[in-house]
Amino acid sequence: MISKTERVINYVVLTVLAALVLFPVGTFLVAALSPDRSGKPVGFSDFAWGNFATAWRDADFSRAMTVSIVVAVCVVAGQVILALLGGYAFGVLGVVGDKWLFPVVLLGMMISLEAIIVPLYYQFRTFGLTNSLPGIILIHLGMGVPFGIFWMRAAFRALPRSAFESAEMDGAGPLRMLRSMAAPMARPAIYTLILLSFMWTWNDYFLSLVFLHGDNQTATVALGVFQGKYVTQINLMAAGGLIVAAPVLVLYVVFQRKFISGMLAGAIKE
Amino acid sequence: MTATATAPEGGKPGAHRRRNRWIGLAFAALPLGVYALVVLVPLAQSVQFSFYKWDGVSASTWAGLDNYRTFLTDPVLRSTFGHVLVLIGFFALLPIALGLLSAALLTRARQPGMAVYRWIFFLPQVMTTVVIALVFKRIYAPDGPLNTALRAVGLDSFAKTWLGDFTWALPALGMIGTWVTFGFCMVLFISGTSAIAPELYEAARIDGAGPVREFFAVTLPGLRGQMAVALTLTITAALRTFDLVWVTTHGGPGTSTLTPAVALYKAAFQNPQVGLAAAIGVVMALLCLVIAVVITRVSERD
Repeated sequence: MISKTERVINYVVLTVLAALVLFPVGTFLVAALSPDRSGKPVGFSDFAWGNFATAWRDADFSRAMTVSIVVAVCVVAGQVILALLGGYAFGVLGVVGDKWLFPVVLLGMMISLEAIIVPLYYQFRTFGLTNSLPGIILIHLGMGVPFGIFWMRAAFRALPRSAFESAEMDGAGPLRMLRSMAAPMARPAIYTLILLSFMWTWNDYFLSLVFLHGDNQTATVALGVFQGKYVTQINLMAAGGLIVAAPVLVLYVVFQRKFISGMLAGAIKE
Repeated sequence: MTATATAPEGGKPGAHRRRNRWIGLAFAALPLGVYALVVLVPLAQSVQFSFYKWDGVSASTWAGLDNYRTFLTDPVLRSTFGHVLVLIGFFALLPIALGLLSAALLTRARQPGMAVYRWIFFLPQVMTTVVIALVFKRIYAPDGPLNTALRAVGLDSFAKTWLGDFTWALPALGMIGTWVTFGFCMVLFISGTSAIAPELYEAARIDGAGPVREFFAVTLPGLRGQMAVALTLTITAALRTFDLVWVTTHGGPGTSTLTPAVALYKAAFQNPQVGLAAAIGVVMALLCLVIAVVITRVSERD
């Protein structure tokens, strides 16, 4: 249907744009593998794989990565539970007052962290929840509720009505229906929610910077500190950066379809 | 709880549904409670804080609209709006133009290998922003790849410390935003064009439309919804830029890359003028809301 020249032009355009995206990442990768502290590119045989181990040790990533993993896992687990409950309520059961309650929930997707961070910090300080993991996990959870409800509500509404009706005939209560039927049937949407929630939590910088200090630093904040100290050691700084980016990138390699479709669908929420 | 949940016999279906809605409220209570505690209450408090003068420690005093006045009149704080406008050019307009161009070039084709390209174009969206900031700090460094390339082609006079330059730091930051968002716009537009009915393209072709007319008559109108989404997301991203600036320039040199979010952070936590910080947050939230509403309204007209 399309001519050969058009096809060739398409590939040329795509390749040029792809190269523009990959070039900066590529230079970073090369710098991370350079034995030279300036990050000068070297041949394959001279790659300094040890940079990753050195950066890991010098930046004390064992601790920071542990913090990040603990926070991310707790947030993802909590997020899924809250989203299942909220999504099921708004999507299947209906909620008293949902005519105004649901818009209030959706509004949350447009409220940026900047609008609430100041009172959050000073309130949490009075309750001793600053510089504590439960505190930051709670904030991540609250910020994630609107998307979670929006996402799972849509997933539950896409399920065939008849399934609910026949389960109800069998005398299943709402909680059992959610656990044994609706949630398993909506599994693809739950997986996407898990991936997105993990990515957002892992990549967060602002919230961690404000709330966590010292031993509680997450990997992203620790990386910021590390790069400030290693300004002249480009190779280690780059290696550290790749370590922090790695968990999400690995998931992205494996689940690219879910990431892309989830983020596109999440964007087109109106 | 499960025991009381259902008793389908007896009672009208209407009553049944109504009871379900109360059970629904019970299900939603936990998520709604967390949401109210973390988002809604602090949101109201932000507005309250913004009317006070407070250093975070001693007693606060009523300030009326002073904090807002300061934000809008202080030359340094006001300059952040100008910076945001520049950033919007790089975060929103440029990526959308590039995304449309590529979508236009690619609509006629559904070719093998698209999945690989999509993976690459979307990559900046999933990368940790702090890492992206470091990647570009390296690119823009005095002896980094950009300056090396300029020197290699004899443009030595253009080589500079990009992020330390009063004129160039802001556009250099902006280009990072272009790099981050253009792939997203592109994938969004390409998926949007694939949803346009092929008959429209066939009809245009029968009418003898070339690629350019086809783009303006079919592709562009078909992408209205996606355009609205892309504009909303990228403009608010420009307005909210924090990580990139904080890791690369801290708002400097001088205040040449100061954004509202960075100004907010400094006012809230470094040299506490808490009321001012809250006012900045409130203004940013209102702007985000207005932008989203205006863009949605305009895109839905006629």
